[in-house]
Amino acid sequence: MSAFTRPGSARSRRLGALPLISLIDVVFLLLIYFLVTSDFSQAERRLPSAVQTEGGGVRAAELQPQIIEVSTDLQGLRFVVGQVVMRDQASLQAFLERLPREPGVAVRAAPDTPISGIAAALQAAKDAGFEKRSYVPRGG
Amino acid sequence: MITVDLTPMIDVVLQLIIFFMLTSRFGDLRRTEIDLPKQPGDHTQAKREPALIIDLTGDGRMLVDSRSVSLVELERLTQAGLASAGETEPFDVLIRPDRNAPAQDLDRVLSRLAAVGVRSWKLGTVEPGGEP
Repeated sequence: MSAFTRPGSARSRRLGALPLISLIDVVFLLLIYFLVTSDFSQAERRLPSAVQTEGGGVRAAELQPQIIEVSTDLQGLRFVVGQVVMRDQASLQAFLERLPREPGVAVRAAPDTPISGIAAALQAAKDAGFEKRSYVPRGG
Repeated sequence: MITVDLTPMIDVVLQLIIFFMLTSRFGDLRRTEIDLPKQPGDHTQAKREPALIIDLTGDGRMLVDSRSVSLVELERLTQAGLASAGETEPFDVLIRPDRNAPAQDLDRVLSRLAAVGVRSWKLGTVEPGGEP
C-alpha cells in the first residue's frame, strides 16, 4: 500500500498519488465497526466448565435402597442413610465406604436444603467410590 | 515545512489493534458470577462440553447464557437442544447453582428437564479455594 503512494517515488508519480488519508479513514471506520459489532465472547458452552459433580436423574421407581437424605436443622447439615445420621461430609463418606458399590447411591434433599449440601453428598458418594450417583428431585 | 510520515505510524497502530483484538479475552466477562458449591468434583470424567448451561442464582432465578429465563422458556430451550442433538449425540446439561440456593429450586428445574427427556445432568462446583 505504502509503496504506491510514497511521495516522490517514481512509481507514485507514474500512477498518480492515491488519496491515502481517505483510505485510512475508511479502514479505521471499518476496523471500529468490526471491533464494536464482533462477538468475541465464546459461547458459554465452550468456556471451560467448572469442576463437575455428576448426578443422573432417576424416577422413584428406579431407586435403589441406598438413599442419602439431606436436610438441615439447627445444628446445620444432616445426612441420613437408613437409620444412621451424620453431620459432616467426612463421616458420610466413611459410612458410604462400607456399603456395596454396585447398587449405586441416590441423594434426596428436603426443599429448604442448600444446594451445597446436595453437592457435599454427591461428592462424598463419588469419593467413596460409587460410580452410580443420582439425585432424585422431590416431585420428580 | 516538516511533514510527518503517517504511513509507518498507521502501520504500527494497525498492528497494535490487531494484536489487542487477538489477545484480549472477552469471554469470561459474560459468565455470570455464581457462588458455586465448594467441592473438588470429579476430574476423571471425560471432558465433554455441556450442551446447555443453566445458572441457578440465590434469589431463585434461572439464567441461560446470562439471560433470565422462565421454566417454560427453559423447557422450550431444552426441547430445541434435544431435537438438534438428535438420538446419537448426548445432550449434557450443566447446572451451576448458587451454593445457598434451596434444593426446591434445583428440583423445579430437574423436574422440567426430566419431563422433556433429559436423563443426565451435572452439578457445577468449584474447588475449595479455586476460581469458579
